[in-house]
Amino acid sequence: MKRIKKYTLLATTVALALGGTLASAQDFKKYGIDKDVPGACSYASMSKKDYKGRTLSVITHAVPVMGEPTDLHAKQFQELTGATVNVVHVPFGDLFQRIMIPFQTGQNAYDVLFYGSLWSGDFHDYLAPVPKKYLDTAGMKDVTPTYRKVATWGDTMVQYTVDADRNYLKYRTDVFNNPEYKKKFKEKTGHDLAVPKTWEEYDEIANFFNGWDWAGDGKPHFGSAEVTKRDDLMFSAFIDRASAYAKNPNVKGGMFFDLKTMEPLINTPGFVKALEMFVKAKRYFPPGGDNFGLGDEIFSFGGGQTLMSYTWDDAFVQAMEPTSKIRFKVGSSPLPGSHEVWNRITKKWDHFDKPNAPAYVTWGWTSAVAKASKNQDMAFDFLCFFSNEANADHDLQIGRFGINPYRNAHFTKSFWADKMGWGKTVGDQYVDTLLTIDRSKNHVFDLRIPGVNQFMSSMATGVSEAMAGQKTPQQALDDVAKEWKQTVNRIGVDKVRAAYANVVKLEDNE
Amino acid sequence: MSADRSKFVFVLPGLIVLVAIILFPLLFTIRVSFSDWDVARPGLDWIGATNYLRLVHDTRFWESFGRLALMAVGSVLLQYMLGFGLALLVWREVRARRFFRVLFLIPMMTTPVIMAVIWRTMFHESLGPVNDLVRLLHFAPLPWLSQAGLAMMSIITVEVWQWTPFMFLMLLAGLLSLPREPFLAAAIDGAGPIRTFLRVTFPMMAPISIGAIIIRLIEASKILDSVYVITSGGPGTATETSSYYIFIRGLRDFQVGYAAALSFTYLVIMAISLTIIAKVLARAMLVRDRA
Amino acid sequence: MSALYRILKYAAILLWSAFVIAPFLWALTTSFKTANGITGGPTYIPWLQYQPSLEGWRLLFRSGGGGIQIGGPYLDSLIVTISASLISLVLGTLAAYGLSRFTFRAGFVRNADITFFFISQRIMPPVVLAIPFFLMLQFLGLLDTKFGLIIVYIALLMPIAVWVMVDFFNTVPRELDESAMLDGCSPFETFWRVILPNSKPGLVVAGLFCLIFGWNDFFFAFTLTFTQTQLLPVAIVALNSSVTPWWSLSAAALVSVAPLVAVAFVLESYLSRGNLAGAIR
Repeated sequence: MKRIKKYTLLATTVALALGGTLASAQDFKKYGIDKDVPGACSYASMSKKDYKGRTLSVITHAVPVMGEPTDLHAKQFQELTGATVNVVHVPFGDLFQRIMIPFQTGQNAYDVLFYGSLWSGDFHDYLAPVPKKYLDTAGMKDVTPTYRKVATWGDTMVQYTVDADRNYLKYRTDVFNNPEYKKKFKEKTGHDLAVPKTWEEYDEIANFFNGWDWAGDGKPHFGSAEVTKRDDLMFSAFIDRASAYAKNPNVKGGMFFDLKTMEPLINTPGFVKALEMFVKAKRYFPPGGDNFGLGDEIFSFGGGQTLMSYTWDDAFVQAMEPTSKIRFKVGSSPLPGSHEVWNRITKKWDHFDKPNAPAYVTWGWTSAVAKASKNQDMAFDFLCFFSNEANADHDLQIGRFGINPYRNAHFTKSFWADKMGWGKTVGDQYVDTLLTIDRSKNHVFDLRIPGVNQFMSSMATGVSEAMAGQKTPQQALDDVAKEWKQTVNRIGVDKVRAAYANVVKLEDNE
Repeated sequence: MSADRSKFVFVLPGLIVLVAIILFPLLFTIRVSFSDWDVARPGLDWIGATNYLRLVHDTRFWESFGRLALMAVGSVLLQYMLGFGLALLVWREVRARRFFRVLFLIPMMTTPVIMAVIWRTMFHESLGPVNDLVRLLHFAPLPWLSQAGLAMMSIITVEVWQWTPFMFLMLLAGLLSLPREPFLAAAIDGAGPIRTFLRVTFPMMAPISIGAIIIRLIEASKILDSVYVITSGGPGTATETSSYYIFIRGLRDFQVGYAAALSFTYLVIMAISLTIIAKVLARAMLVRDRA
Repeated sequence: MSALYRILKYAAILLWSAFVIAPFLWALTTSFKTANGITGGPTYIPWLQYQPSLEGWRLLFRSGGGGIQIGGPYLDSLIVTISASLISLVLGTLAAYGLSRFTFRAGFVRNADITFFFISQRIMPPVVLAIPFFLMLQFLGLLDTKFGLIIVYIALLMPIAVWVMVDFFNTVPRELDESAMLDGCSPFETFWRVILPNSKPGLVVAGLFCLIFGWNDFFFAFTLTFTQTQLLPVAIVALNSSVTPWWSLSAAALVSVAPLVAVAFVLESYLSRGNLAGAIR
């Protein structure tokens, strides 16, 4: 480390001596990047900082998703600046409490935090706003508006965008393009086989392709892999399905709650319909599919067991790994929608000729600096270095890192087709899918309000009870609504409303 | 130093250290249970017994007790019977008994949170070996984790695998330290193996059995890691136990005050029921000993 | 003893052995797989059924490259567990001897109640103790240190030591104490010179239990540390990302059980000697 430090120092001195124009880009190639992109966060800028003798504490997700890039850039940051960076990796399920306990007890435990942005309603008071200097960097300015919104609380940007996530549909192109299957499907159902535009179509297709060997490898294959394990990420899967029925673009003022009264809407017909469909969907899950965590979903679709899947990129990335048996046999598209959407004002189903398919901006990883941190300067430098153009470019190419497009520059088709090696078909479609979601005027955001976990865990419990047949969908969601109401009252109606207003503002494009 | 004074020298150091470490957390928990400490409101305000009134109506909490009772009592009984059986098997005249003794101890040495992941992969309904074995025996694959009864059985299986060694060790140590004379006497009386067991072995093992059962019940009641990893309480709430429910409320939801009330209630209920269980067991098992 | 009985006996032993060993064999074979080796359905024999890879094992010893380095956590775990176990064993044995040999009365409190008080410390679900212990260590400035964890572990382990040793001392005949006292030993000398040397099996069992429970604690090791101190289970769980890495967790399970298996051998030999001791007395 010392040697590198000396070397960079020497390089800088020489560069200065030569009028500061000597390109030092090649010095940084050893870090695995293509080329250093000049700017406040670049390798060159960082190598001029001296943080020797200072220590940065970082909490992040388990490796590899987010965890591995954190390690990688921590090490680079260490070498460039002389700082010591300590990183701890925590599985997603335990991350919240591990951050919240120190926050609430006033312990200055971590300088930098990587976590799911859905928690910003709980964390924002404990986070340091991103200083202007970093807001003005080219990298930050290029972040798409959608994900600037995600990083912002009220009018203040409190989270540093290092990733963006969304849920979308993944399917097997080899099956959808197979003429024989197309014919059979038409005969059986009377419909043309096409990428589903509604959940009803999804249902029909998944059911048709369930339980027989459509891949020709001698094993039975199944319709759909979904995240259904109760306290795993099932709440996001349910929101994926429910948005189509419950998020009416013509009705403003909240999808989960009526912003005016703060009455829960979770037991309105839109959600109930989605839950009924979810319960029915069990028939085309693979064995064990009603207890799948995200990891199981990834293995199931990514390993070629199932025809379709939705939620995050991971399953798609797994399928496109160079060693994958189904590489180039997968396609992506925005989530299915619905022709019928509940209107809570008229208390009727509105008909949409073009299916209503809201784009659920499914939280995603974000990062922030703790307000209590005594190393805020160094912490923000680390995050800006972490996400500098060269690093982002590098990280996007490594699927397991879990870093997905969040800057306008990332939506360059040639990048995915050529550099990533996905080819034009898969790559272009991927970019189109992501762009459609990003540019959608009909977004659903997470319930980013204080106590989001309480709301999500009671919703997941209700959904799970209905899936297990312990309650009817209506009964289950009625109970969830009751619990939500109590939770709102306990946390404070005004407090929750104020926070939810932020979310609704984003959803209503105000 | 008189015997009367010196007895305190034995007990007090441990007692003082333990109280010093545990007193604050315990009192603090009780205090927190009367507060509204929540994810959005850290700190110790005073809301009286509100949390306790809430938990009275919390059916999920009380239902979880029923499941806990089934899971804890079921798995501990199985562990006891299997552990005793195994201890008897490798007690005497067995080839390579030292090897088997070590082998039987090993599951206890594994980290529950990691082994639970391994077990989940084993029970995986399409990618795991358990259903492979089921298929080999020409049965249809079973929904090990997604059907209420089977999910409960799967978790009990994991618990039995992990903690039978504990019983085994306690009981084997007990068996190995038994004096020989009563067995010789029984042999002279012409008692067969079953009578010897009922008249001699079992009564002599009763005290150690009761201790082992109680301590296992305490530990089994705290079951958390395996539930979390294997089913996360599902399907529905079919495998949700008290401590898992408290975990969800306390650390997932971060309802710190309410979780403290739940825990304190749990502590009281467990202390009372364990005392009763211990008394009942003592009466049932020690009766011959006293006579 | 009939042949049938012998057959049944060995069948039972072998059946249980298979049950015990199955997860380890599964973990062993899984630890050499990659995602492809898993998604194809259950397979068991490398090369024949799947292409083995050392990736799962490499992840355990690599830092900065998508892995963890378990060397440091291994050492930390050993230090914390052994220290806490030793302290618990010393304090617990003393207390257990006192509780076994003398009568305590204070109001309605009897020996059995004091013993139960020790054991009852284990009833409380750890979930609730997280925040109080956090605040306590914060006050003491011991968060994220090995010393802080040792303190907490003493509270967790001492009850086990007390419980095992009380039961054990109760089986040691009181005549031993009495004859020592008649020879002019003080209570402490009796304990040190006569009882303790005769208590090795009990001490071994109690010590082993302390080691096991300490070594395998995840919860406190997880909540009471930040980035400086990391114990083994916490370090291993850091591999459990969006994809559950069956391979490296399997390897980790095997690595983490290794030192305790060594302990099991030691324990077994003491058990056998305990048998002898029982015969002599």
